Amino acid sequence: MSIEKSPLRRKLDKLFVPLTVGPTLLWIAAIIVYPTAKLLFSSLQFRNPVTNEIEFVGLRNFRRLIFAREGGQAALGVFNPSFVSITTNTAIYVGFSVSISFLLGLGIALLLDKDLKGRGWFRTAVIVPWILPYVMSGLMWRWMFQSDFGAINGALQRLGIISGNIPFLSDGALAMVALIIADVWVFTPFIIIILLAGLQNVPEQLYDAAEVDGASRWSRFWNVTYPFLKPSILVALTIRIIFDIRALDLVWVMTQGGPGKSTEVWASWLYRTAQVFNEPGSGAALGVVLLAVTFAIVASLYKIFGESPYQA
Amino acid sequence: MSTKRSPLNRLRRSLGLETQNEWPSVARERLLAYGLLAVYVLIIWFPIYYIFITSLKPSSEVLSLPITFLPQNPTAQNYVDIFTNRPFDNYTINSMLVATTTTLICITLGTVTGYSFSRFDFMGNKSLLLSIVGARMIPPIALIVPFFQIMSNPPLIGGFTGSLYDTRLALILTYTFFNLPFAVWIMKNYFDGIPESLDEQARIDGCSRWEAFVKIILPMAKPGIAATAILAFIFSWNEFVFALVLTSSEQAQTLPIAVSLFVADDFVDWAHLAAGGMIAALPGILFGLFFQQYIVSGLTQGAVKE
Repeated sequence: MSIEKSPLRRKLDKLFVPLTVGPTLLWIAAIIVYPTAKLLFSSLQFRNPVTNEIEFVGLRNFRRLIFAREGGQAALGVFNPSFVSITTNTAIYVGFSVSISFLLGLGIALLLDKDLKGRGWFRTAVIVPWILPYVMSGLMWRWMFQSDFGAINGALQRLGIISGNIPFLSDGALAMVALIIADVWVFTPFIIIILLAGLQNVPEQLYDAAEVDGASRWSRFWNVTYPFLKPSILVALTIRIIFDIRALDLVWVMTQGGPGKSTEVWASWLYRTAQVFNEPGSGAALGVVLLAVTFAIVASLYKIFGESPYQA
Repeated sequence: MSTKRSPLNRLRRSLGLETQNEWPSVARERLLAYGLLAVYVLIIWFPIYYIFITSLKPSSEVLSLPITFLPQNPTAQNYVDIFTNRPFDNYTINSMLVATTTTLICITLGTVTGYSFSRFDFMGNKSLLLSIVGARMIPPIALIVPFFQIMSNPPLIGGFTGSLYDTRLALILTYTFFNLPFAVWIMKNYFDGIPESLDEQARIDGCSRWEAFVKIILPMAKPGIAATAILAFIFSWNEFVFALVLTSSEQAQTLPIAVSLFVADDFVDWAHLAAGGMIAALPGILFGLFFQQYIVSGLTQGAVKE
């Protein structure tokens, strides 16, 4: 019988929580808290690209970022496109991609929620675009949209819809459309999966009851499905919006923010400033703005839907 | 007369067609659903198909008109080329090592920590858990500047390790930043679904906390661990931005970077890029086809809590 416990065992049992939680907390603190603190600190500094001297500049990085460029600060101002136009691009990119993929994903999820044979097979076929490396997907779409040898021009011509080649990626507005199409292609599966999981929570009897009551299709969706789907919608939208604001992969490999500055978004601008142009201070300042915007969006979605996406 | 077991009859049954001459609205609706789903699947798979056939075309055919939607002279030469003319073996090994190690760290720490958060009421556990999950809300790209600085000049351990820039270790450390909070969250939710009475039963039978966890609960958590592992692996395997910033040579660069390297300033080597892209996409395609239910359960455990 080993009912009685040795002192060592008892001691180890007492240490269960510290030993299991401690390492993770230390790890996360080291790898998140420290870099975040460093980010806040860097955003207040300016590093002279020539001499590498670091100067404390207070909020000047933010002022330069958000308000008009200062005449005297041309060294940075030359490269910085206007905050307004890049914010507009980001809003267009995120707004269109998220709403199109949301509506498409909701539609597919509702179709898949029907008691169809081979549903698992469809789900498998549907999920793949989301699991591929975004870079691969971005380059793949760039290849598809290529104007001379791309599949889209080729297919449209073969179908007799167009006669000449459309320069998808070298026209500003079309490049944005191409980006949005690629983004929708990549992220609709995510929406489908999250919403499908939510749809599975709707009790079957409620549908039957609504049908007996003669509720219209629309009112069935609005009064039965939607209340149960709300938490999933919140999660899907939150994660999707946050991800689109911060994601660089697709934009960088498809257009690098071009042609001109027509597809430059916050993420590509941040990367360009911080890495390509070697201005860590400005990059960090934009990082801080991104952080603030992210939390603002999460908070407002939480307000709108009245529920936390991360209920503990 | 057809037999009852004929495929046609089975199809008719699954469509809700009980009699020969009727097309009830259920059947029409289901046919429409099948049709729409089939169109959607065809459209979303076309790009994957197209990059695949591009990878089988000789370079000359890739840049010739009219475009072919079936390769005229299929060849595996592009795949041979990228392993002989470019260090794709290194890139693949780097990707494997980085993704596997990250996954192991994340499931080990994620599992034990998730279990404790699920079972114990310790000081500040709620707010600790929230801050761990909240950490995942920090836009990673906002942190590229500090991560670059830290990896180039690591604090505390820098004297021993030197610069971590362009090492696989830098990527592993970085990727745990994306995946560990997520792993803790998925596992916590998974353990929440395992009845606590099982722990208590094991304790009554004389198990220590550790034994109860390892012998009784852990085996039951296998599907949750599988879900976490697959997601952590895919996320690390696919990651691009941090790999771009933190590595510069084939000793640490991963496949997503390798694929992007086919893009020169004004010229893209599409045939070889397609082959490299297929190699990089392979785990995603295989995981998607064979482990779809784990990915789905991991995603929904991590994102939606009932």
